Amino acid sequence: MTLIRRYWLSALAIIFSGIVFLVPFSFIILMAFKDRTQAQLLDFSWPQGMHLWSNIVEVVTTRNWMLLTAFINSTILTVASVTLLVIFAAMVGFVLQRRKTRFNGLIEFLILAGLMIPPAVVPTIWLLQGIGLFGKLHGMVLVEIAYSLPFSILLYRAFIATIPREMDEAAIIDGARPLDVFFRIVLPLLWPVTVTNIVVQSVAIFNDFTNPLYYLPGNANATVQLTLYNFQSQFQTSYNLLFTNIALITIPPLIVFLFFNRQIVAGMTAGAVKG
Amino acid sequence: MAGLELKSLRKSYGEVEVIKGVDLSVEHGEFVVFVGPSGCGKSTLLRMIAGLEDISGGELFIGDKLCNAVEPRDRGIAMVFQSYALYPHMTVYDNVGFGLKLAKTPKDERDRKIREAARILQMEHLLDRKPGQLSGGQRQRVAIGRAIVRKPEVFLFDEPLSNLDAALRVDMRMELSKLHHNLGATMVYVTHDQVEAMTLADKIVVLNAGVVQQVGSPIELYQCPANLFVAGFIGSPKMNFVPVTIESVGAGTVTIVGKDMSPITVPAQTSGLQPGDEVTLGIRPHALDASQSGAIVGRVQLVERLGNETIVSLQLPSKADWLVVLDGDRQLRIGNSLALDFAPASAIIFDSSGLARHPAPQALGE
Repeated sequence: MTLIRRYWLSALAIIFSGIVFLVPFSFIILMAFKDRTQAQLLDFSWPQGMHLWSNIVEVVTTRNWMLLTAFINSTILTVASVTLLVIFAAMVGFVLQRRKTRFNGLIEFLILAGLMIPPAVVPTIWLLQGIGLFGKLHGMVLVEIAYSLPFSILLYRAFIATIPREMDEAAIIDGARPLDVFFRIVLPLLWPVTVTNIVVQSVAIFNDFTNPLYYLPGNANATVQLTLYNFQSQFQTSYNLLFTNIALITIPPLIVFLFFNRQIVAGMTAGAVKG
Repeated sequence: MAGLELKSLRKSYGEVEVIKGVDLSVEHGEFVVFVGPSGCGKSTLLRMIAGLEDISGGELFIGDKLCNAVEPRDRGIAMVFQSYALYPHMTVYDNVGFGLKLAKTPKDERDRKIREAARILQMEHLLDRKPGQLSGGQRQRVAIGRAIVRKPEVFLFDEPLSNLDAALRVDMRMELSKLHHNLGATMVYVTHDQVEAMTLADKIVVLNAGVVQQVGSPIELYQCPANLFVAGFIGSPKMNFVPVTIESVGAGTVTIVGKDMSPITVPAQTSGLQPGDEVTLGIRPHALDASQSGAIVGRVQLVERLGNETIVSLQLPSKADWLVVLDGDRQLRIGNSLALDFAPASAIIFDSSGLARHPAPQALGE
């Protein structure tokens, strides 16, 4: 009895959050097992028969194996964007924290502006067309970097403040050039924040739907989120295939999250209190 | 191997001048200590020698080379920081070898040098550890190892012992002294601890507010401080001062009198002094002795009995507080009056501008 009295609130919270997170997920899984007619009902029922494999085959082969192309595109996009993002954001944070000039205020304002002002799509497309990067994967990489840079810089800068300046100076005395100081000393010490950055940004970029929709038209350029459009149209939607597709493209971010879960929290709070 | 030459070195941050023209020459192999109160510019001066701070004016020579605009890595220096500044993600081996790696030293030569440095500092068993697994003293050793492995011309130490506990500090101080003896390199050492300064230095540089107050050997500074600041800074407990008036001027002596003391004649360099001048008398706490017919009488405020000596805090009639160190154990009652005497030769007269009036050497001999 005392157990119930002591822990009922915690138990309630666990059950509540379990329902909020698990119900939609189990709905996706259940739908992926159904056939077309049962899926059309859109209800929370046990699948009649086992149709998962045929659903997967159909989803993957649709439109000339578009999902595979999309996975390749999304992987390239995510890896390239996140790699450059980590390096650039850490560099900007490092310089901003270490070198005080009278432009710092302006630069910080611009970074915050990048966080607050919504991106203007049409001018961006116009600019991309002007420099011949519209509808190209590397153009998309640049766009993703630009959109995610402010947040990453903020994460890094707070953490770089906790790395003693004497560390840089010791390296300089040891004969390190500026790039040596950054890549051999500072960047390795930033690892906790880098993990956070990698996870948060790669999930965000991998799951990005709207930006590839605007900036990356064409079947050859599809990213995974855009393949969702394969199975819905104005007049009919194959819900079993749609949900199978969702289940397939949810797996990679989920794995990333499960692996780095602990480090994300460590990185988010790193620098908050000196350990 | 090389010495150092500073020629009217200046440093200013905008309008504020922190180093106001320092002239100093350091011989090869000398151990030089910069001392001074916090904020006097001693660390800044060291960082200017290291190349971590730009030089606003003047010239810096390391060896015979003008080094004002030379990158730190090309100056032939190594520096040990107060916080050690070890790279936490590298093992001790990599920490010590980092500079060699950057200099693209071949692997076997690098390995030999790292092990050599580890042997000198007796830390061979620590090479595989990370800095986080080391104690304060061991980290200090690694930091020194990182410096010696590069075989620099000049070693720079920025308060390297201030993060250690008292016992370890004494040990490391001796080791540094030994290291200096063994390596024979030029060393520049910054500290605010005057015991470190007195014990380690061949030459002490006393700085205050960006100006060199005096340069000399530890004993020179103790016995013949150039001015009031050096007299008050060097020596522990600190020198006692009292304002007095000159009654008469003799040949190489002055007779002084003050509110707190009966007239007494002390040796001094007399040129320019006249009867009636206000001067300051300085006496070391150890130079005072209790005596029935003493010239100075004060009231006992506090007694610290250490067994081998007794430290007495006195208040003079003019409300000035003095410290007196008496030999042996004395039983004194707080509130009683105590008469003190001193050998005239141990007193130092400072004129109104604060400069010491040490008697000419022949006067001392008489």
